[in-house]
Amino acid sequence: MAAHSRGHPAMRERGFSPAGTSPYWWIRPCAGSILFLSLLFLFLFTAAAASAAAPEEEKFTEELLLRPLPDRKALAYFHFRSSAPPAASVGRHHHLFPKAISQLVKKYHISELELSFTQGRWNYEQWGGFDPMSTNNAKPPGVELWGFKLNEGNLRYGALPREAVCTENLTPWLKLLPYRDKAGIASLLYRPSIYKGYYHSQKLKLRSSQSLGIILDQTLTVVLQPNTVSGEQLHSNHGQLQPNWSMRHLFNRKLSGKCLVSKSSRVFIEVDKGIVDNVNKSGSDLSWSNEFFVLSNSPDKLIKGQNHVEIQSSFLYVYDASNYTEEKPLDVGITWKLPLVWTCTPSPFHASRFLMGSGNERGSIALSFMSTNLHKQISGSPTDCSIKAVIFQVVPWYVKVYYHSLEIFIDGSRKTVSEVVDKIHVIPSEDKLLPGTLEMLLRFPCSMQSGTLTLDFDRGFLHIDEYPPDANQGFDIPSALVSFPEFSSARSYPEIDPVLGSPLLENFQEDSVVKSYTEVLLVPLTTPDFSMPYNVITFTCTVLALYFGSLLNALRRRIGEEERELKKTVVILKKWQLLASILYRKFVDELF
Amino acid sequence: MLAMAEIAGDEAPTPPPPISGEVSTDPYTSTPASTGSNNPPLRTTKPGVKRLILTASVLLSFLVGLPFLLKSTEIHRSPLPSDAITALAHRLHSTPPSFPCGLHAVFLRSVPDRSDASLTRRLEQSISAQLQLLPATSTAGNVSVSVTVESAGGCSSSSSNVDSGWQCGTVTSADLVIGDEVFDELLHSALGSGGGDGSRVYTVVVVEVDDAEGMRIVVGKHRHAWVVGKADEVKAVSVIGKVFAKYFMNGGIEEGEAGIGKGEFMPVGSDGNVVLSFSLLNADPSDWVYDWDFEKIGERMLNPVVEALRPIAEINIESQVLYHTPKSSYSYSDDKLGGNVLSMGDIPFFVNSNEWHLDTSISATGRSKVLQFVVYIPSARECPLYLQLPDGRLSKTNAFISPMWGGVLIWNPPDCSLDSKKTHGTRKKMSSQELMETIEIFIGQLRQLFGLKPSYLSQNMDMPTKFVVSEKGFTEWELDLLYRHHARSNLLSCLTTLESLSSLVRSLPRMIVMDEIGRQVELSLEAANLAQGNATLGISDSSAVYATRARALAEDAFFHPSIMSISYASIEHYFAIYMPFFAPVSLHVLLAAIKELKRYKAERAKYSAFLASQATSS
Repeated sequence: MAAHSRGHPAMRERGFSPAGTSPYWWIRPCAGSILFLSLLFLFLFTAAAASAAAPEEEKFTEELLLRPLPDRKALAYFHFRSSAPPAASVGRHHHLFPKAISQLVKKYHISELELSFTQGRWNYEQWGGFDPMSTNNAKPPGVELWGFKLNEGNLRYGALPREAVCTENLTPWLKLLPYRDKAGIASLLYRPSIYKGYYHSQKLKLRSSQSLGIILDQTLTVVLQPNTVSGEQLHSNHGQLQPNWSMRHLFNRKLSGKCLVSKSSRVFIEVDKGIVDNVNKSGSDLSWSNEFFVLSNSPDKLIKGQNHVEIQSSFLYVYDASNYTEEKPLDVGITWKLPLVWTCTPSPFHASRFLMGSGNERGSIALSFMSTNLHKQISGSPTDCSIKAVIFQVVPWYVKVYYHSLEIFIDGSRKTVSEVVDKIHVIPSEDKLLPGTLEMLLRFPCSMQSGTLTLDFDRGFLHIDEYPPDANQGFDIPSALVSFPEFSSARSYPEIDPVLGSPLLENFQEDSVVKSYTEVLLVPLTTPDFSMPYNVITFTCTVLALYFGSLLNALRRRIGEEERELKKTVVILKKWQLLASILYRKFVDELF
Repeated sequence: MLAMAEIAGDEAPTPPPPISGEVSTDPYTSTPASTGSNNPPLRTTKPGVKRLILTASVLLSFLVGLPFLLKSTEIHRSPLPSDAITALAHRLHSTPPSFPCGLHAVFLRSVPDRSDASLTRRLEQSISAQLQLLPATSTAGNVSVSVTVESAGGCSSSSSNVDSGWQCGTVTSADLVIGDEVFDELLHSALGSGGGDGSRVYTVVVVEVDDAEGMRIVVGKHRHAWVVGKADEVKAVSVIGKVFAKYFMNGGIEEGEAGIGKGEFMPVGSDGNVVLSFSLLNADPSDWVYDWDFEKIGERMLNPVVEALRPIAEINIESQVLYHTPKSSYSYSDDKLGGNVLSMGDIPFFVNSNEWHLDTSISATGRSKVLQFVVYIPSARECPLYLQLPDGRLSKTNAFISPMWGGVLIWNPPDCSLDSKKTHGTRKKMSSQELMETIEIFIGQLRQLFGLKPSYLSQNMDMPTKFVVSEKGFTEWELDLLYRHHARSNLLSCLTTLESLSSLVRSLPRMIVMDEIGRQVELSLEAANLAQGNATLGISDSSAVYATRARALAEDAFFHPSIMSISYASIEHYFAIYMPFFAPVSLHVLLAAIKELKRYKAERAKYSAFLASQATSS
């Protein structure tokens, strides 16, 4: 299973481009957090095609999308785009675009970079796994970085699964916006509200090319529990109204106008396919005030969204923030009239990853796929069809994976590797240098209900200096990425005016495959007693000192003489004893 | 008692105790009298030295091995050339770098005059004497003077070694009518390329014009000045001396004034890089938003300055526009002055480091320096905003500098006094005229940050003085001055760094010193020597370049990351590793040696007593 230094041409065409790796790493702590540790390097992926023609001057747009979620939560998605046209002055003279970013791009010749800081895990069952939101903005916990340099085929990847994300990461991110959080949509980012959520992912994505200039997309995805009066939540389950919420409930803030330098400033309220279907079934139309819910403000525009198979999938209510001012702030919200139960479209398989085995020596990693029966919903496809899935996984070198031990079980029965695996690409790990990388193209039968892949591994030993602080906590294996190349999460908005120029919707229209991240794994390794070196030193030295001392004594002692000395001391002691008893007797005599 | 009894019981199988007075059967020792006899213990045989030699040799081998152990466990320390550093320090302190330069005085006489060698020699001597009287500057070395007297009758020069390249007959007093700027260029061409490489030669031309009233001084943008007017010899000589000493040597900085040569600091990073970061701050963009075309106008105006200062520093120019950047000091409204007024006392609090995110430049990594130049656009509430001088007047430029940090200019937008509601929420551009004026003020501030006068308007020199302004922002003689001071201060700073490094290394014997540090120190010393060598030749610009390099290398050595590794080789660590073995073993060895030595002495005493008793008895 030798590693190929270049990806297979066919795989590259499909968008998967394994390439060579570099043993060094570049990262600018632009989020203020200290990124030391074992970063993992490698390769991968190409990005979505760049969009739009080159702009003439630096532009900035701000957008916010709000969406009710089936589990009584609400999703808020902030999207800020700054773009700089290609010019000689890039990196030196800027008006809106952050100088720091353009200098970074210029210095390191970055053509693409995506850095995300995430707290919490995206709930693929409840919050959806088939829409642009989950595909592009559901990120693994901790820090993840994809990088791609100009004129160089190598893509680099790094992940810090245990990095805690906090306001200290948000502040430098905000500094890249022209108005920071002083005005416009970013002023909604009230820290106690947005850090109270269930999921928090801030992302920085930049693309640069000769024709495009630099495009910087900053997004923040938060899942919040609407802060409503508890009395409304008394009823349980069915027949229960969804919580009513508005911006003020979610963020403790209202939107008082746009950021003046932004080209467009919009707020979207998106209702899911599930709600749309329910409303359509009931026969009412999807105006902002219908049988099921009512929005607090009348929208400026309505946009119908379609998914890739031209099915009406979602509905967008658009508000232009420039129509609102300090005196008349925007506080858009949703009020439910009837109880509504719906589900989000899941990805074809639900992927999860876990560890098997016991002890500190070896174990196995298992990746399980549970079918969501999506193919039945989408098309009544024949039973002999198959679904492709690509697994990309990076394993640190101290978890020594035996790739030949790959076993595949489909619906409980064991299959040979060639039956399921179409292509496999492995870069074995190198000790203290390179993490192992596994990329597989699998083909599952549509009828499969559950499938499992297992890989055996040995737990390696690290040098005593290489253990991080608190080594007993265990070591993290970054999330594996599972993508389904036959499924595209792109939306299309047939009614949309191209002049509208919404980067948020542009991103949603981009063709991107459905993908999901698995859990982070925690592998406990055998940790040594860290005081051991000193213990060994002291113990060895004591033994040596004892040996040396006794040897020296044996060489110089005079046994015969010492024995005579001993006897002599005994004689002297006896004399003293006699003297003492005489004195004692005298003393006793005088006393009585 | 019981223990004693037991011991007593144990001795049963041993031979009976010796009888008093008897000589022991032991070949080595005699048993001392145990029954209270007063006879000294005797010994019939010579005491053996086997065990003594054994213990002594063990002890010795330990002592011999100790240096080897220390050698094998010592950490790597690259030898620093501390002798060379001390030599450099000695050289710099005894003879500070001084740049020899020349003064060439040219007298253009309108009347045909008998000009002979004695006149020029006399003038030369009197100018030299005049220069002795004027206060010397720190960087000026020997000044060699030469005089040329040119008249209709001829041209005679003193036979001095100063080569100013003056070509007789090129310039006449009639040329004055063409204007100062053109005359300046004419003089420059007349002087040719004199002093191009060697020491700098400054020329003062005295143009005698009969019909002029009084005298007038013009200082050109190259290395010359001219005096126009009717003057007798004494007056002319004193003016020449003053112009040379005050401007060409001191940049017009008076005694007691802050400026070049007074403070040691130059706003240049220790690696010789400077970033000039220009920021346009919109204090409150909800009132108005201004933008500028800095990349076109700013670059065009600043590029000559960047070129001129290249021997001192590698300058990069950046610009950005920032929003929501309120100032952090309070201003008060003053109806009499028609606006809001900020007094001098509030200026230290003007820069709001919480909200002004100025410090983002990737080219300012490491130890290079960023100079911030900030245009502050006040919000509608505080507009127009003026700076008030301590004497109650308003600042003409509405700007201030902060040494080593940069400068701030308050720019009141033109529609400031109008109703702000009318302009609400629009993006406007600073007009190019206003931007050019702003950059001119910033160039003045840059001059000031480098220790020069922002302008010479307020100079008094007994007579009208004019300065020809260079489009570079700095005239040639000013640049000479900067190079000299820069070379000198960099050499001194390099020396301080090297001395600190050398004393640090000496004071921390457990510090690892990498070979690279040693190499950097050597290179730095080499560059410093070159800078000093060039200084003695008077080549100020290349001396400045070498001094910059010397300082950068010295700083690189001092801030080398490996110096941080000191904590990993601490003396505690060392002891913790070697103590568990050496403490118990050395105790054994020492005690054994001492005991053996003591015993040997005692036994030898017994033996000698025995020998003595033998001698007396026989």
